Amino acid sequence: IETSFAEFSIRERMREKLKAARVQTDFPSAEEAYKFFTFSFDPDPENIKDETKSKKKSESNQEEEEGEEQECDEEDCLVNNREDLFIIDQMARDFLVVKPAEYKSYSERLQKEREILFTPSILTVPMSQKVPENMQPRYIEDEGLYTGERPIVSLSNQNILENRILRQEQGKRWFGDDGKLLALPSPIKQYSTRPPIFSLEEGIEPELETLYRKAMKPMHANQYIVGSGDPQGQFQLDIDISGLIFTHHPCFSREHVLAAKLAQLYDQYLARRQQNLTKLLTDKLHALRNAVQSSLDNSGTSFLHIYIYRQTRRLRDAEQEKDRTLLKTIIKVWKEMKSLRDFQKFTNTPMKLYLRKEEVDQRSDKKIYEAEIQAEINELLEEYMEEYEKKMEEYKTELQEWKSWKKAQKTKKKKKIKQSQDQEEEEAENSEYVEEPVKPIPPKLADSLEVEQQVREKAINIRRKPGEPVLIPELSLTGSVTPNDLCPRAEVLRREDVKKRSLFLKVLFNTKEVSRTISRQISSDFRVHFGQIFNLKIFNWPESLKLQIYETMGFSSTNLLAEMFIPVPETTVLTGRARTEEIEFSSNQRVMLDHEGVGSGVPFSFEADGSNKITLMTSGKVSSSVSWAIGENGVPLIPLVSQQKTGIPSALKNIDAVASIGTSGVTDMKKLAKWAAETKLDPNDPKNADLMQLIMVATSGDACVPGFFRLEQLQQEFNFASDEELNRSKRFQLLQLRHREVAEFRNYKQVPLLEREITEKLFENYEKRLRERDVIDSKDHLDAHRALVAKYLQKVRESVINRFLTAKHHFLLSDLVNEEEVPSLGNLGLSLFKLAEPKRPLKPRRKERKKVTAQNLSDGDINLLVNIIRAYDIPVRKPVLSKLQQPSRSSRSFNEMFAASPSPQSPTRSIDWTFNQVLVHPFVEVSFQRTVCRTTAAEGPNPNWNEELELPFRAPNGDYSTTSLQSVKDEVFINIFDEVLYDVLEDDRERGSGIHTRVERHWLGSVRIPFSTIYFQTRIDGTFKIDIPPVLLGYSKEKNLGNERSYDSVRSLSEGSYITVFITIEPQLIPGDPVREKLYYLLKFDTQEDEKLLQAAEKYQAECALKFPSRQCLTTVVDINGKTVFITRYIKPLNPPQELLNGHPNNSQAAAELVARYVSLIPFLPDSVSFAGICDLWSTSDQFLDLLAGDEEEHAVLLCNYFLSMGKKAWLIIGNAIPEGTTAYVLTWEQNQYVIWNPSNGRCYGQFDTFCPLQSVGCLISFDNIWFNIQQYDSPVRINFDISKPKLWKSFFSQSLPYPGLSSVQPEELIYQHIDKAAALELQGRIEKILKEKIMEWRPRHLTRWNRYCTSTLRHFLPLLEQFQGKAVEDDHQAELQKQLGDYRVSGFPIHMPFSEVKPLIEAVHSTGVHTIDVSNAEFALAVYIHAYPKNVLSVWIYIASLVRNR
Amino acid sequence: MAAAAAAPTVFLLMVNGQIESAQFPAFDELYCKYCFVYGHDWAPTTGLEEGISQITCKNRDAQQALVWNFPIDITFKSTNPSGWPQIVVSVYGPDLFGNDVVRGYGAVHVPFTPGSHRRTIPMFVPESTSKLQKITSWLMGRHPEFTDPKVVAQGEGREVITVRSQGFVTISFNVVTKDMKKLGYDVSPSDMQNP
Repeated sequence: IETSFAEFSIRERMREKLKAARVQTDFPSAEEAYKFFTFSFDPDPENIKDETKSKKKSESNQEEEEGEEQECDEEDCLVNNREDLFIIDQMARDFLVVKPAEYKSYSERLQKEREILFTPSILTVPMSQKVPENMQPRYIEDEGLYTGERPIVSLSNQNILENRILRQEQGKRWFGDDGKLLALPSPIKQYSTRPPIFSLEEGIEPELETLYRKAMKPMHANQYIVGSGDPQGQFQLDIDISGLIFTHHPCFSREHVLAAKLAQLYDQYLARRQQNLTKLLTDKLHALRNAVQSSLDNSGTSFLHIYIYRQTRRLRDAEQEKDRTLLKTIIKVWKEMKSLRDFQKFTNTPMKLYLRKEEVDQRSDKKIYEAEIQAEINELLEEYMEEYEKKMEEYKTELQEWKSWKKAQKTKKKKKIKQSQDQEEEEAENSEYVEEPVKPIPPKLADSLEVEQQVREKAINIRRKPGEPVLIPELSLTGSVTPNDLCPRAEVLRREDVKKRSLFLKVLFNTKEVSRTISRQISSDFRVHFGQIFNLKIFNWPESLKLQIYETMGFSSTNLLAEMFIPVPETTVLTGRARTEEIEFSSNQRVMLDHEGVGSGVPFSFEADGSNKITLMTSGKVSSSVSWAIGENGVPLIPLVSQQKTGIPSALKNIDAVASIGTSGVTDMKKLAKWAAETKLDPNDPKNADLMQLIMVATSGDACVPGFFRLEQLQQEFNFASDEELNRSKRFQLLQLRHREVAEFRNYKQVPLLEREITEKLFENYEKRLRERDVIDSKDHLDAHRALVAKYLQKVRESVINRFLTAKHHFLLSDLVNEEEVPSLGNLGLSLFKLAEPKRPLKPRRKERKKVTAQNLSDGDINLLVNIIRAYDIPVRKPVLSKLQQPSRSSRSFNEMFAASPSPQSPTRSIDWTFNQVLVHPFVEVSFQRTVCRTTAAEGPNPNWNEELELPFRAPNGDYSTTSLQSVKDEVFINIFDEVLYDVLEDDRERGSGIHTRVERHWLGSVRIPFSTIYFQTRIDGTFKIDIPPVLLGYSKEKNLGNERSYDSVRSLSEGSYITVFITIEPQLIPGDPVREKLYYLLKFDTQEDEKLLQAAEKYQAECALKFPSRQCLTTVVDINGKTVFITRYIKPLNPPQELLNGHPNNSQAAAELVARYVSLIPFLPDSVSFAGICDLWSTSDQFLDLLAGDEEEHAVLLCNYFLSMGKKAWLIIGNAIPEGTTAYVLTWEQNQYVIWNPSNGRCYGQFDTFCPLQSVGCLISFDNIWFNIQQYDSPVRINFDISKPKLWKSFFSQSLPYPGLSSVQPEELIYQHIDKAAALELQGRIEKILKEKIMEWRPRHLTRWNRYCTSTLRHFLPLLEQFQGKAVEDDHQAELQKQLGDYRVSGFPIHMPFSEVKPLIEAVHSTGVHTIDVSNAEFALAVYIHAYPKNVLSVWIYIASLVRNR
Repeated sequence: MAAAAAAPTVFLLMVNGQIESAQFPAFDELYCKYCFVYGHDWAPTTGLEEGISQITCKNRDAQQALVWNFPIDITFKSTNPSGWPQIVVSVYGPDLFGNDVVRGYGAVHVPFTPGSHRRTIPMFVPESTSKLQKITSWLMGRHPEFTDPKVVAQGEGREVITVRSQGFVTISFNVVTKDMKKLGYDVSPSDMQNP
């Protein structure tokens, strides 16, 4: 006993308690039971334990003794055992009882078995027991129904089963009508379908033995080859050409023509006689007549019988008529022939026609004839009667109708008489005249005499007259032909001509001549006998067999008379069994002869006067037979049919029912049908169903073989709706469009189930887009060229998006499975090292936030966090009436601009200016997706806000997938305003008690950052240059030189204002990069570059990425056609527009700036937005200029190319910049220093300019090489641009891989159109008009006044601004305006933009908020100026100002 | 309400039942997650779309079943039988070192016909791409997993993965549909026998 002591003791105690209870009474009372469950037991004295043990022992002993008799006291036992239920440690053997084995004697057992078991007898069950009572067994098979073969069961087994079943209840259910057990047809197939299993150990049966044969090369790699390595020419086709008969030949004389005709007619006659349709139909008619009679006697008329009977009679009459006319024609032709012979006094043909008369018994014949006619008359009369009755019926109903109508008329008339007696007559007349229906005419009864006459007439026409002998024509060739010397000359000539002519036949097999017959003369009766047999030994499957008939005239030319195709024989057609068949041929050659011969294709006549002309063509019949030869051992030499690739209609071939009976390839269906009839195939056997159907299809004429081939012939069966129905249904259309992932419907949820719930509106957008694809919307673009470009871009975009969509369905392992990388040793070491890192470092690094997969996001989950930190050098308000002289800055040199150390600039301003300085109250407003947030207003030109703004982000259509997010085009606008307070207190005396001020906001500048940049960069942190208009009326850029700190002095060098912001998305989203990679895989092979170069590029890139994974390295790019191109091919000196160079002939710096400006004026269109972040497409410079849109790369390439052609040293920089992200800049070497150009806005920076937006440099690219930055740092300030140092720059082409001299993809030269000033002027006017309208539209509650005077002044400023590129402006706009306008308070500014579309212009004007001014007497001024550059590059200036009259 | 009942525009599919048990001969202490994947035209109206079960230990009997009896109860509405809901089950459990490792993914369509159904889904996991990966993944306790368990409910992209079978999960469904026949979708088997 292994239980622990504690357990044991508790058990013990329980037992005690129970026992105590049992001692008193057998069952515990309720109270005791309660106690038992609730009472807490105290330990009992030990002695009881012993007692129980002894008790237990005694009990177990007792059990053993009692043995079987235990049942007697079961209840007692149970109670005893109940106690033991709690004893788990009792052994198994305690419960076991050992008994001796039982035995029963054999006889006893048999006895018992006999009681239980039933042994069915093996005797046959009498039939009467198996079929229902009083029924004869019925054999279904005898009735023609298919029963199938029964599975084989031995008779004794069957008997046993039957006997057993009969003993069962309703046992007779198991027997069929034929008294046999019901059984399915035997499932055992006649042949084994499983390949036999060989066991190598045992002796292999000889027929199953495998033999080794050497592999043999096929002779010809041709699909028509039949042989499979067997010796050539094993197959043989026998062509027997016995002869040829002309039915017409040019040398036919007129008699010949008639003879041919006669022969033909006679053939026809013979054929008809053999068929003897007339006799057949007459017999049928008699039979039917009897049937009709009997049915008439028995039970009325059987309409069907009568109908058939009439039909048959009509048929018989037609046949009789045909017979009669044929006979007549034969006789007529014969007579013609005879007269011709008489006329020409010679005979050409041995043809003779005998007419054998067969006398008939006149009386009986007449009797039959009369009876026939009488019968027919009666029947016809009957028929007419019927018709009459029918008509009569109709007549009666019509009459009834007419009568009732008449009655109605009368009553009407009476009424009318009562109403108005005056108009009575008139109306009555009118009504009758108009409406009276025609009174029906009763039908006539047929006249029996008339009918008789009809019948008799017909009989005379089509039948032999009674008593007339039966004429039987017989044609014989026994006549004699007039010898030559008795004939006229023309005839002799003809006969000689015939003799000169000879014929031969060519046999063409698969359009190749294989043999030809000997040349034979044409006999006088125009028959040619060849009697030749050609044995064609073939090994190509016969595609076509063709005979060509050639005629030779004397020794001269041979002439192809006709061609004919012979059908390739069936595989069953063997030599000896083949029948000779006649194949007709004809030729359309026109032959005219100068003798008696009628010629061919020439009209001639038998009449003397030349009427009744007929034209005959050469024609005839070739009798031949084609069959398969039989080899020596009786094996037919037929190629395997399985290789057959002939043009036999595929529908028949596809049904391989024929193969099931072992004769595949049989194509003669009639023969097949015959065979099926002969072999007595059971048509009800399901096994033969295919075959039967095939035969039915093939033999019934109407089920013709389709003339087309259907790829998926069962497709139609599975179409649940026809195509038209699909197109008509809006719902199906919606589903289809969604499946195709059309942008409008891509994520459409819950397509309505019912057609009527789908509104037309749903499709409106889509259909509009489809329509507009081809329509150029000039309203949005104003300029036809740009509209075209927009359209083109749209198409490129669509194709790229489609490509992208396909790529999206292309999965990589990493898309589906997250798998840990195998850690490299280095990584392991690093992670070990990490353990030693301090837990709380002094300079904590920004930890990466958890990235969120985009799919489980919804609206409101994503926020854009914009942290506005501070700004520098905000323009300050200018005191009114201060005039300043400013030095012109246009003559500064590069040295001055980019000097690393500040060159001392002497303040030119008067000292008192600082005291007069008016502060600004700038605040920042951030607008994104129509949500606007603003900071509080700060003080001074260098404000410090440090505020966090939170803007909600909504994805288009609520679709937060990566693709959708990538294509978000929204921009974040950061606008800086000045908050100006104006005192509007009218009365100075109230100043003490109230404040009346009006707040105005004046726009100072803006920064715009596209959302896509934020999305791809995940965060944007930096100082940006504020886009401040060159002129801000009422403001001036102040350089505060008062406090000379070193930091300020550096900053002051660069003009412009700056703002420091930090932008990020909360939560962080994963930018979808893998797409790019996948597309790269897809596009990888689409290239024309050298394979070696591409491999080198890949290797180079991999090496670079290994060293500096964050640095950009580009070697190959994708061009606009989607092909991979090596990047250096883009760099090539290209001429800038001559006009730009002419402007500054001596000043290369100014020219460079102008060129940069020109490039920056080309509208900017980021690839990553339009192409949904898939890939960069690089267009060449001419494509770029044609499209007039591109992203940084295109701008940079063009600028670089211009600089190269201007003689500068220039490189492309691939690196990272703020805010663009990965971008391309241009680096030039100018006067001993490096200058970095931003191609998208035309600005340039010195290498050491801290405000240069370029943050890192990845690689440099020139026309002949690529250098990757392998220096420690990548910030342009900290690196050395000397590419000649291999330690700093890793070059792509080196000594080991020399530059192969790649040709450029750029054009030789760029051609520029001349400036179209008139178009620019027109556009200018239109834009001005549109903008003015828009401003009025935005101010619906106020009257918008336009100050014309101011507008015209502003218009004068704009060309000046363009001239100085907005950089070196005269600062005295304000003063000039002031002078001219007097006491207006003017605030406004010019906006400058490259022109692409009108929409951005409107957006820009709107974002400045000039229109928001609320003063009632405000006036506005707006002027637009467009400066046109070559190639339709337009620079747009918009000067907008608001004026408030000073009081 | 009466009008809506007269002319229904959506049909409803109510599914309840439970993820009864699993057979994973080689693993113990497993729990499972389930979620539903359905087409564009489907929307859940009530009930839980996703769930995570308790951890269960192996039964000690010969069958060694892992019983969760985790209830599912969800109602969908839909306008289109295409995209019929599928239940995606993924089973997780600790490995030798106590890392949570996926033991199987599986999916099955919710039965179409109303009534009570039992489904046994074979469960599989993606295989490591190489022998070395396999060893390291075992050592690190980071076995390959699907980026999204819903992958197993779609046919696209399977060509790039290799999987291994691990065991079975048995789910019982009780399906009730409403208005399907009214909208022309006949799914009940009795109708198929005597149309």
